[in-house]
Amino acid sequence: MSEFLVFFLHGLAYAGLLFLVSAGLTLVFGMMNVLNFAHAAMYMLGAYFSYTIVMQLTGQFWMSLMICPVILFVIGAVVERFLLRRVHRYGHVQELLLTFGLAYIITELVKWYWGNYPLAINVTGFLNGTVSIFGIIYPMYRIFIFVCAILVGGVMALVLYKTRLGIILRAAVNDSEMTNTLGVNVPLVFMGVFAFGAALSGFAGVIAGPLLSTFPGMAQEILLDAFVVIVVGGFGSLGGAILASLIIGELQSFGVLLFPKLSMALVYLLMAAVLIIKPSGLFGEES
Amino acid sequence: MSKKLVYGLCFLFAVLMMSWPVSSGAAEDTIKIGATEPLSGTFKDIGERYLDGVVYAAQLINESGGLLGKKVEVVPIDSELKPDVATRKAQNLILRDGVKFFCGGTGSSVGAAMAQLAERQNVIMFTYGMDAASMTGVKCNKNFFRPGGSTDGRSFALAELIVKLGYKKIAIIAQDYSFGQEALAAFKKRVAKISPATKIVVELYHPAGTKDYGPYVSQIIAAKPDVIFTPNWGNDLTLLLKQGRPMGMSQKVFSYYINDEVTIEALGNDSLMIGNMGAEIYTLSIPTKKNEAFVAKFYKDKGYYPTWLRGKAFIATMFWAEAVKKAGTTDVAAVIKAWEGLTYDGPAGLWTMRACDHQAQVPYWYTEIVPKTKYFKHAFEAPKGMISAKAVEVPCAETGCKMK
Repeated sequence: MSEFLVFFLHGLAYAGLLFLVSAGLTLVFGMMNVLNFAHAAMYMLGAYFSYTIVMQLTGQFWMSLMICPVILFVIGAVVERFLLRRVHRYGHVQELLLTFGLAYIITELVKWYWGNYPLAINVTGFLNGTVSIFGIIYPMYRIFIFVCAILVGGVMALVLYKTRLGIILRAAVNDSEMTNTLGVNVPLVFMGVFAFGAALSGFAGVIAGPLLSTFPGMAQEILLDAFVVIVVGGFGSLGGAILASLIIGELQSFGVLLFPKLSMALVYLLMAAVLIIKPSGLFGEES
Repeated sequence: MSKKLVYGLCFLFAVLMMSWPVSSGAAEDTIKIGATEPLSGTFKDIGERYLDGVVYAAQLINESGGLLGKKVEVVPIDSELKPDVATRKAQNLILRDGVKFFCGGTGSSVGAAMAQLAERQNVIMFTYGMDAASMTGVKCNKNFFRPGGSTDGRSFALAELIVKLGYKKIAIIAQDYSFGQEALAAFKKRVAKISPATKIVVELYHPAGTKDYGPYVSQIIAAKPDVIFTPNWGNDLTLLLKQGRPMGMSQKVFSYYINDEVTIEALGNDSLMIGNMGAEIYTLSIPTKKNEAFVAKFYKDKGYYPTWLRGKAFIATMFWAEAVKKAGTTDVAAVIKAWEGLTYDGPAGLWTMRACDHQAQVPYWYTEIVPKTKYFKHAFEAPKGMISAKAVEVPCAETGCKMK
């Protein structure tokens, strides 16, 4: 029983990380129809800024948790305003290529500034401890990841479906011209959405830093996972991303325990199955 | 549009062809050696440290009058860790500049492709860091030499150490590809041979580049081993320790490459590392006069230490130079003949190049990670004895190598 619980917790923690990484990606896609290849590179930037803030400047993990998303928000806003908006009228392929190129540029900048080797981000105090759950000693940090994911998911759902801002956002997506005519500054809304997506990726990077390695290959490593999550969950669906993260997290955790030889394949089998049965993903809208 | 592209490419190709110097059999006043290492990308740091060792060996040789009266010139080749890229660039060097000697330390797949190229073009390729046992086993050929370690040697050395220290229950975990599988197979074989009472309590394989080690660590902890053995390297070693220790995986870890200063520093937390042990063909801390003299001179020349990668590449290159010296010529057949059976007594003890498979027979040096050393601010290795080449030998008949 306790073994079952441990593997369940592993699954939850990893699901939390997956959701944090893919939330921004799926939000931007859902709202703006832009598949942001630079998302993972921004996640990496978040981790590296966190390294500088935690290990070189303040020594406070909480500080980086608050500052990094703000930095990434600004970067996201600049990218949307001065790059993405300009290529928008040429179509989606150009937008895709732009974010693709951006990902490369960010990766090279990271190598140039921080170096081409792994860096350590260590948390201290409360988060570095362990908790006892039904007699199992479990690292606090993994619980923390899951809690963060719940908070982020909750806030996003609340804003989107329960506030005036959410109504404007959804209206802008449905019919941007009409919304524009009604006096809403739609370009500003889109800039905000993209910037918020970037901030989310930065937040995910900060969270991932102490658990994984901070190195120039980390963006590429996570990108595939994030894509699997949003393909399974359905492009642009927040609920889909939550459900898909949970399924994939638990599938990996129990897969390693029960079918060690297949643990890698399981996730892709799931993706294949979803694509065959419901090509738009679990919660995706049929187009 | 596509027609234009084709013309353009043809033009580009023609220009490139013309711009190549048509000097066949280039000037013979230097002996060139091509070093294939990843000099860009994720493994750049490893490639650069290996290259540093090769270049330093060439520098020392040139300072003492050169090789056969000629200067040794190292030609860095960025392999990008891709077999096709490495062989394409090497082929150019062979055809254009008449380069006859190649070396490299990163990526057994690159090594295997380079070994084939060497056989086809009749040049020599040697490695100091590509460890897959099969390279001097079933895949061996007469143009390929390994003045370095192998998964067999390392696994045997660590199996002997664990048994000698009296541990009875071992957890083993490796990356799920040929390297990891060969490493664990050799380890299990040696443990079963020398100590049938010792049990492998859990055997795990994970994909290279795994991000969440939680499910693996939980299985290790549940099996209650005395110690853990793993050939993992790079991120796969870092994350196993970084995620495993807080979950209560407190056992000593025995690993191939535990003495990597970059890995230790990247962990940023010495307590995760202290007490772990390794076996390596060259380590900074080898307590012999020859090594102390080498380390001191290197530090004086460069201002930093010839840690394992640099040391291994240095010794292997010096060994190659000995073979050329003995041959008295750069003729490939003569150098191959001269290297077979040759011994080299360097900083890492006595190395013997075996004729049957071109695998150097080398002693392995044990290390343990301790909090304080004179070398670095962070935790680093301290010497813990050695095991002779004879004790970890794979008999010629068992290598699977059929030299043509």
